[in-house]
Amino acid sequence: MNYIVVGCGRVGAELAYSLFLKGHKVSVIDHVASAFNNLHHDFRGRMVEGEALNLDILQRAGIESTDGLAAVTNSDPLNAVVGHIARTEFNVSRVVVRNYDPRWRGLHETFNLQVVSSSSWGAQRIEETLDHPEMYTVYSAGNGEVEIYRFVIPKQWDNRTLGELLPKQNCTPVSLTRTGVAIIPDCDTVLKADDVAVVSATNEGIQALHQHMYEEN
Amino acid sequence: MFVVIIGGGRTGTQLANLLLAQKHSVHVIENRPEVLARIHRELPTEIIFEGNYTDPEVLATAGLPRADVLAACTVSDPDNLAVCYLARTRYNTSRTIARVNNPRNAWLFDSKFHVDVALNNAEIIARLIEEEMSMGDMMTLLKLRRGDYSLVEEKIPAKARSIGIAIKDLGLPENVVIAAIIRQGKVVVPRGITTIEADDEILAVTDLIGAKQLASLFAPSEPAN
Repeated sequence: MNYIVVGCGRVGAELAYSLFLKGHKVSVIDHVASAFNNLHHDFRGRMVEGEALNLDILQRAGIESTDGLAAVTNSDPLNAVVGHIARTEFNVSRVVVRNYDPRWRGLHETFNLQVVSSSSWGAQRIEETLDHPEMYTVYSAGNGEVEIYRFVIPKQWDNRTLGELLPKQNCTPVSLTRTGVAIIPDCDTVLKADDVAVVSATNEGIQALHQHMYEEN
Repeated sequence: MFVVIIGGGRTGTQLANLLLAQKHSVHVIENRPEVLARIHRELPTEIIFEGNYTDPEVLATAGLPRADVLAACTVSDPDNLAVCYLARTRYNTSRTIARVNNPRNAWLFDSKFHVDVALNNAEIIARLIEEEMSMGDMMTLLKLRRGDYSLVEEKIPAKARSIGIAIKDLGLPENVVIAAIIRQGKVVVPRGITTIEADDEILAVTDLIGAKQLASLFAPSEPAN
């Protein structure tokens, strides 16, 4: 695949290198030549120095034949504008933009762009790990509105049902693993201590579950 | 008319003052603290709105939903484009005007981002300079409609080819209209049969190509040097 990465800061350089390692052809655009120093020294790809809104620059990076474009600069308006042009003017089918400042999130939604909010997503991950180390996220959908959590059933829930444990809303069971064998559980499934449970939940759902699971110590 | 101006830099402030003087209603949105400190001294406080201009709440507080015109005057082209797009798609603002900072970004300032009018400072100035260089004695009095057309003035030299010829027979280019002739200090309203005389001052409305043709038409029949 051919990919264009706009912005060669930490996220851009990491992304470009990772795509390159998977065997893709990558063009990186940045308006500051020294930004390319962020790239891993093994990186082989096109480095285009210039403004990403400049038609020449976009064409030199191969916008007309790219399979995807990621706009990951630290300017939200620039990411949104580049993403919008890629999609509407050059019919690039896969466009992902980075939301840098969480306060500008709404802008990307107005443009109807696929957005990854790296700052708020990172903060949320850190908060969860800090606050509930025993329960961790294995997958985030969207920008973390719904997540899949994995946790170990504590002793006090031995021989009780999953239905008793899970909150009625905002939380759905995904799997239950006992001695290496996984099943799709339901509300009547009887839990054993040290079972590994996986649930899909919103932030409210996981807060309620966490509180309920440990309150009856 | 109610105009919301985005960006309180020199351009935005100048525009706000101009519009206020013409009794229009104006709101200015700005988010840079150092600029805010300055514009609070230059503009009435009640028209200044502080905050991020892509935040719907800020835009709503500043009255964008009922604005007739949005003028995006920030020094960032992506910001100007994004805010025009936002204004049309979210608030259906009927007219959007945006400033082009980098002429190489000018290709984006159209329906792609719902920009109705793009004002390209650098291009307007460059074109003015180019015209002034090429037009010799012709003087540009007024730029019309973003500089595509101008009102120009030219004095007819004694040996001009066009002396004694009626306007209808001059073979004026399509985009040129002679608006007035100043002859011996009096305005003569030009008709098709009016003939050009030496020392006439011709006022014409023309585009850039027309102006060049006009200049050669009114030039002396023998090269001056």
